[in-house]
Amino acid sequence: MEQLVASKVLKRYGGTTILEDVDLVVRAGEVVALTGENGAGKTTLMRICAGLIRPDSGEVRVGGPIGYCPQAPGLFELLTAEDHLVMFGRGAGISRAESLRRGDAILEEFGYPLRERTVTRDLSGGTRQKLNLALALLTDPSVLLLDEPYQGFDRGTYVNFWDHCEKWRSQGKGVVVVTHMLAELERVDRVIELPAHPSRAHRGGHQ
Amino acid sequence: MGEMHGRDLTRRHAALALLVALPLSFYLASVGSGTGSITAGGVGMAFAVSGATLFSILSAGEVDQRLVLGGYRPIELLLGRLLFLGPLGLLIAAGFSVLMASVSHPARPWVMALGVAMVALQSIPFGLAVGAALPRELEGTLVLIGVIGLQLATPLNSTASKFLPFYGPSRLIASSLTEHGHILGPLIQTIVYGFGLLLLARVFMARRVDVQHHPLAEPG
Repeated sequence: MEQLVASKVLKRYGGTTILEDVDLVVRAGEVVALTGENGAGKTTLMRICAGLIRPDSGEVRVGGPIGYCPQAPGLFELLTAEDHLVMFGRGAGISRAESLRRGDAILEEFGYPLRERTVTRDLSGGTRQKLNLALALLTDPSVLLLDEPYQGFDRGTYVNFWDHCEKWRSQGKGVVVVTHMLAELERVDRVIELPAHPSRAHRGGHQ
Repeated sequence: MGEMHGRDLTRRHAALALLVALPLSFYLASVGSGTGSITAGGVGMAFAVSGATLFSILSAGEVDQRLVLGGYRPIELLLGRLLFLGPLGLLIAAGFSVLMASVSHPARPWVMALGVAMVALQSIPFGLAVGAALPRELEGTLVLIGVIGLQLATPLNSTASKFLPFYGPSRLIASSLTEHGHILGPLIQTIVYGFGLLLLARVFMARRVDVQHHPLAEPG
């Protein structure tokens, strides 16, 4: 069963073509690494697959709910981790208590149990990203789109993240991880390299 | 959503204090110059409420779009902000009204309070429309300063003033300075303009948090 099918995706910004005729298929129980040089359009493709950007042409289909973890934690600076979990959970119809239970369980697995009421502005970058990841996982999605989710992770949590990829695989999720960490590519099922569009190859890419 | 926006905004103590202090200083600086100070304070209060509204939108950044991805409808994000900002705006307006009524003694204090309340309520769709249309703090703040400053500087009976968002409330505040003055006309004008701003905010917000919900993949 296919959890994510992106077909012939085209995206231009002004006169610059970022993606052209791009296909991406991720099956249930598959972990795919998306690599490529800076500016190749990896984040753009992920955001298109998440539905946050509309492609100029092409189609995306999904096998179920999407969990998206952006590269930079987009959080409310003056809300706590609990506030975020409750807010995101409510959008998915999950009760406050259940959101906190699930969120605490996920964060505990990544070494950040919900014991403090610190606003996210005062959290370290790695801890903010753990919260970001928890928000993506909160609703138990079928498709996980993770854009370099381990930014700021300590070594232990980083290894833990890749252990979790195997767990998500066994749960039948379709997982896409944007990564530059070539050492971990043996832990994924497939590696897709996204080259920069030929029209931008001479200038170098920017994203 | 209202609860969370409320928490986020009320933790910005310094910013909120400055937003209220600005129009307060306008009023206190012009108290000796007669009843014009009431307009300066009343309309100037728009800085406080529309500024708070602008911060509420801009602090969300990309989070709003992720919330829509997670199941919220864009209208819920808008209503959540209104549910908190409405009472906050009216609270600030009440404080200003009590101060100005006791210091400046307008002829009809209740009309002044109504006008100041209308400034507060008009400031919310104004701040939402600016924040949704201009997602960067500097540009949004400059538009607030420009429009409110223009409203304060432009004579009430000028043509330009009629097209600005706080014209209706300004007329109400001006009416409060005499025993006879229009109330219904300025009130209707304020409500109509306010609805227009709210629609504009709704349109800009929808574009800002647009999420494409993909169709299901065929089993295979």
